[in-house]
Amino acid sequence: MLAPIQNPALNWVLVAGSLVVSILILMVLHSSPPYVRRWVIVGITFLAGLYVPLEFYIPKHNFLTIWRDPIGDLMRVLSGFTIGLGIINLVIVHGRHILQRTPNFPFSLAFFVGFISMTVVGLLHRYKPELWAQKPGAGELAFWSAANKVFFEGMLLPLTSTVFSLLAFFIVSAAYRAFRIRTLEASLLMVAALIVMLANVPIGTWLTSWLPTEGFLKWLRFENAGLWLTTQINAPAMRGILFGAAVGSLGAALRIWLSIEKSFAFGGQ
Amino acid sequence: MEHANWNTIYPYLVWTLTAIIGLGILLASLGKKLHIRRLPAIDAIEEAVGRATEMGRPMLFVPGLAGVDVPTFQAIAIAGHVARLAARYRSRIIMPVTDTVILTMAEQVLREAYAEGGAPDAFRPEDIRFLSGEQFAFASGVVGLMNRERVAANFFFGSFAAESLILAETGQALGAIQIAGTPSTLQIPFFIAACDFTVIGEEYYAVTAYLTREPILLGSVWGQDVCRILLTSLIFTTTLAQKFLPEFVINFLTKAG
Repeated sequence: MLAPIQNPALNWVLVAGSLVVSILILMVLHSSPPYVRRWVIVGITFLAGLYVPLEFYIPKHNFLTIWRDPIGDLMRVLSGFTIGLGIINLVIVHGRHILQRTPNFPFSLAFFVGFISMTVVGLLHRYKPELWAQKPGAGELAFWSAANKVFFEGMLLPLTSTVFSLLAFFIVSAAYRAFRIRTLEASLLMVAALIVMLANVPIGTWLTSWLPTEGFLKWLRFENAGLWLTTQINAPAMRGILFGAAVGSLGAALRIWLSIEKSFAFGGQ
Repeated sequence: MEHANWNTIYPYLVWTLTAIIGLGILLASLGKKLHIRRLPAIDAIEEAVGRATEMGRPMLFVPGLAGVDVPTFQAIAIAGHVARLAARYRSRIIMPVTDTVILTMAEQVLREAYAEGGAPDAFRPEDIRFLSGEQFAFASGVVGLMNRERVAANFFFGSFAAESLILAETGQALGAIQIAGTPSTLQIPFFIAACDFTVIGEEYYAVTAYLTREPILLGSVWGQDVCRILLTSLIFTTTLAQKFLPEFVINFLTKAG
């Protein structure tokens, strides 16, 4: 039943049938009273939440394993449907800015130009890379493939790298605020940060290079003190936080699975 | 995906912890009174909403960078509470998202929250915005939103990565009151440095229980605390007694899953 279907005609019939069934289910859900919808959501959440641990904890391949791939496909199809909603959201928000000529409407125009050109170039690169263009020479990219390369590698990647590089400046301003010596904690933070920074630059190693490499005094060398701070102080603290959060995550997952977390999705309506 | 290895401690541990949390929920539903300690960061949410209302400016709630996962669900639940408060003052919340599934969930939760808060007409669907699935495109979109809308309060709850500081520092420069909470341990220092209040570690998963004071949610938090005490005791006792434990016990405890 779960094997791929080789007959293309039958495939189309099944796709159309699935669409009709999906629309019917949506219509029934939409017209049903809220408490019915709530129980449908609670039931599906419970069954979906039950499947994954059962399949995982029953040893080896079991009667549930066969459903693993179809369920993964189902999730992908559901996500695919919501991408359309994301695009509709963007078009509505930016379309309104343009129609109402809000003060920032040029940004919305930039969105439409970027969105349409990226989509068109991406689709042509994928399906018709030589459309309306000369055939490429040996070792050359087809016109739309070259355009796609310019858009992605020449524009999108440098833009994202630019935003990422801003982080360096933000780290400096955040560090300045965090390290201002006002309290005992800030002073300790400042000293620890100074040691770790010096431990990671050549000048730090050079500053304490006159200290012995063996015995108790070796711990006063910046590289050793920095290593000690990161592995013996910072790492256990981080693990402690992670440890607490992991148990918290288990509790939250249980609350979601049993639909106890009423604040979202199931609502109080 | 592999299957669980029952020759290791992990499957037993997970089911034991689950049972303990379940017991906490059961005890709470039977009427056991439970206490949760004060979380100043969460108390500050109302102050932040009030301040944004006084200034007549919107608030921004960023539910992290992840898709459908437990931290994001938790963030959406917190957003629901913030929206209920905002509805009381008829304030505006802008919620940029990076995942289209979260977009639909967030819209539904905020719509219901505004209705519960008594101001369904104050909800603006266009304020729930899908910006981009790309990390830094999303970050630059959020930074642009903050600057254009001159937000008065920022809430950062959910899973974050390198963009956390870009967002929080922009908010700081704008003078917005900022409250953050994340289970992403690497981002916690950034939020502590740039935000007014930060929820860390397990506190993140206790926020909805703290906000609603629902006995069943408090029961799950109580169960989690019992789990932490048990796990810590297990680590300490087995570490101290490792020289006296038989080899098969050591193997059982230390074998990778």
